[in-house]
Parts: sequence; C-alpha cells; structure tokens
Amino acid sequence: MAEQNISQEQLKALQEKIKNMSPEELKEFQKKQCVFCQIIAGKVQSRKVYEDEKALAILDINPSNPGHILLLTKEHYSIMPQVPDDEVAHVFMVAKALSNAMLRSIDAQGTNIIAANGVAAGQRAQHFMVHIIPRKENDGINFVLPQKSMEQKEIEAVGNRLIAALGGAAAKEEEKPVIPLKLQEPEKKEGKGSIDLDDISKILGVK
Amino acid sequence: MAAREACLVCQIIGNNIPSKKIYEDEFAMAVLDVNGANPGHCFVMPKNHYPIIEQVPDSEIGRLFQVSNKISSAIFESLGAQGTNIFVANGVPAGQTVAHFTINVIPRKENDGINLQWQPKQLSEEEMSTVELKLKEQTKNIGYFQKDEKKPRMHAPKQKTISEEEEEYFTRQMRRLP
Repeated sequence: MAEQNISQEQLKALQEKIKNMSPEELKEFQKKQCVFCQIIAGKVQSRKVYEDEKALAILDINPSNPGHILLLTKEHYSIMPQVPDDEVAHVFMVAKALSNAMLRSIDAQGTNIIAANGVAAGQRAQHFMVHIIPRKENDGINFVLPQKSMEQKEIEAVGNRLIAALGGAAAKEEEKPVIPLKLQEPEKKEGKGSIDLDDISKILGVK
Repeated sequence: MAAREACLVCQIIGNNIPSKKIYEDEFAMAVLDVNGANPGHCFVMPKNHYPIIEQVPDSEIGRLFQVSNKISSAIFESLGAQGTNIFVANGVPAGQTVAHFTINVIPRKENDGINLQWQPKQLSEEEMSTVELKLKEQTKNIGYFQKDEKKPRMHAPKQKTISEEEEEYFTRQMRRLP
C-alpha cells in the first residue's frame, strides 16, 4: 500500500486531518480503511455462511477451531457500545441461531460467543464483531478467567458505581424494561423447525 | 422443579442467596461476580431457567444482550476499564459451569491475567470449503426471529417448556464438573 511510504510530515498532516474530522467524516474515513467493510461490500473475498440486511457471518481465516465464525454488523461500528439497541438484539439472535447451526452441522459439543471491546480486551479490528467458536473437548483452546476475591466493601463500592452509571436500574423494579425493542420482522422462511432440545442435549452430552 | 431448586443462579434470582444486584427487569437480572476475573465482572441472566442459549427465546436474547451492552458501557464510564469482553460459554466443553444460561460482562485492563485468545489453526482450502458447506446447510434455515412483544408481561410469547427429565439431565451434566 502506498500509505506505508508516507513521510513523517505527511503522517502528521494526516493525524491532524483526522483530529479535525466531524464524527460523520471520521466514520466514513474508518469505513474506507476497514477490511471488514470491504468484505461486506464484496470487494474482498470471504466465505459467507449467513447474510441478512443487517448482519453478515463469515468464516474466520485464522480460526481457533474449524467453523469459527465472525459475525459482523453491516454498518461500521468500532465497538459494541456504539451499536444501536435493535442491532444488538438482532446480531445476538443471529449468534444464537449460528451456535445452534454449529451444534447440528459440524459436531460441536459446545460454543463460545465472544465480543471484545478495546485492544486490552483482545480486539484486533476496528469493526464490531462477534466470534462464535465451535468447541470440543480437548480442542486446545484454553481460555483463562481467573477468580479474584473481593472484599465486601469493594463489592459494594464497585456495584454502586455501576448502578449509578446504569441510572439506578436495580433499584427500580417497578419500571418497565429500560430498553424498548423495535425489531423488524424478517421474512418468514420455510423449513425452520422448532428447536429440537433432545438433539441439543444429546450433542451437549459430552460422550 | 428439581433442577430449578438445584440451580445456583435460580437461587440468586429468587433472593435465596444474597448478591449485589446491578440491574433488574421482568426478564433479566445482572449481579456482580464476587469472585470475578476483574472487579466489576458481571453476570447477566434470564430470570427463567434455561440451561443453554438454544433454549432462550429470541426476544429474551435481544434484551439480555442489550442489557449486557449497557453494563459494558457503564463499566467503561464508571470503572475506568480499558476494554470489556462479552463472553458466553455454552456447554461443558466450552467452559460452562452452571446449568443456567449466563452472559459474562468483564472489565479489562492490560496484563490482567485473563486470556480469551487462541492459537489459529491452519486449515486447507478443502477443509474450509467442507466446513463452509456443512454450516450453510443449516444456516439457510435462519431468517425468522421471534418478535419482541411490547408488553411482555401481558403477551408473553409462547415458550417451549423444558421437561423435568431434560432439566435433570442438564443438572447431572453440570455436576460432572470439578
């Protein structure tokens, strides 16, 4: 790419330009740089496994396990907090359906659904995505979630800060769900059977 | 009922086990994990007992992840986190430890001892094509999602009930854990 050969001055000018951009301009700029937007536009090849008007699911070319899916919003959002409620709902309904499809089609014994916001959380691309990972016993994936104990004081303090940031949601039990949902009903397709729980439980039965 | 009584999460939701609640509505509850991976690690859970994600109705999935996203934003705002993870383990091989569907919302900082990374596996073009075709065979049926009701309490969508036998089956499964 030509951009790799730019001089220090040009780089500074570019940084200055980015700084002065309006949010809309910045989004447009990020879109142009974003490989996943190129994939969604069909300019970069990918293996698509599911697509609708809001979301696209492709196979990860560097999979943790065979069948590892990247589920993308078609709209460009850098991180999940930017994604509107209706799209959050839609994307994770699709994630559930894809998880289900994995259990049925590629002998997965379980699935992980992961989203990362920020480099510290493991985010690598500037486009919000959900990883759906098919799992088997002893598949070599070792996620580590350490257990750190907290003192009662700290639990209260951290909890209260979160409650305050959420607008005191835990305190108002009478209130309606904070999140009104306006989902478009996608076209009904034939062939969608009801979830066969026996099937799933068999698959999840680990031997 | 047996599975529900044995379910730690249902006990928390029923207030039989004390917890630090962060959020609650008709369908969802979020509590602080007192042994979290980082301070501020939250569990978002449906109030109804569903062992795995496939059993959770679409409308509830939507709400649960919207709540998770709100909590993730609140973690950024109020705890000075450098990042957040939304993490779901579905099934024992994926690391699920409780037979009640749960979303983890985890505040992140650099070098915090958490690892949600993986070593990429090298697959041949043929292997990729095979897995693509197999998945497509199933994903072609996706496309209809249960619409959320405006007044969920009065017009609750019909839910597939989980038989007691199935519940006990899952409970047994989860008890196999260390």
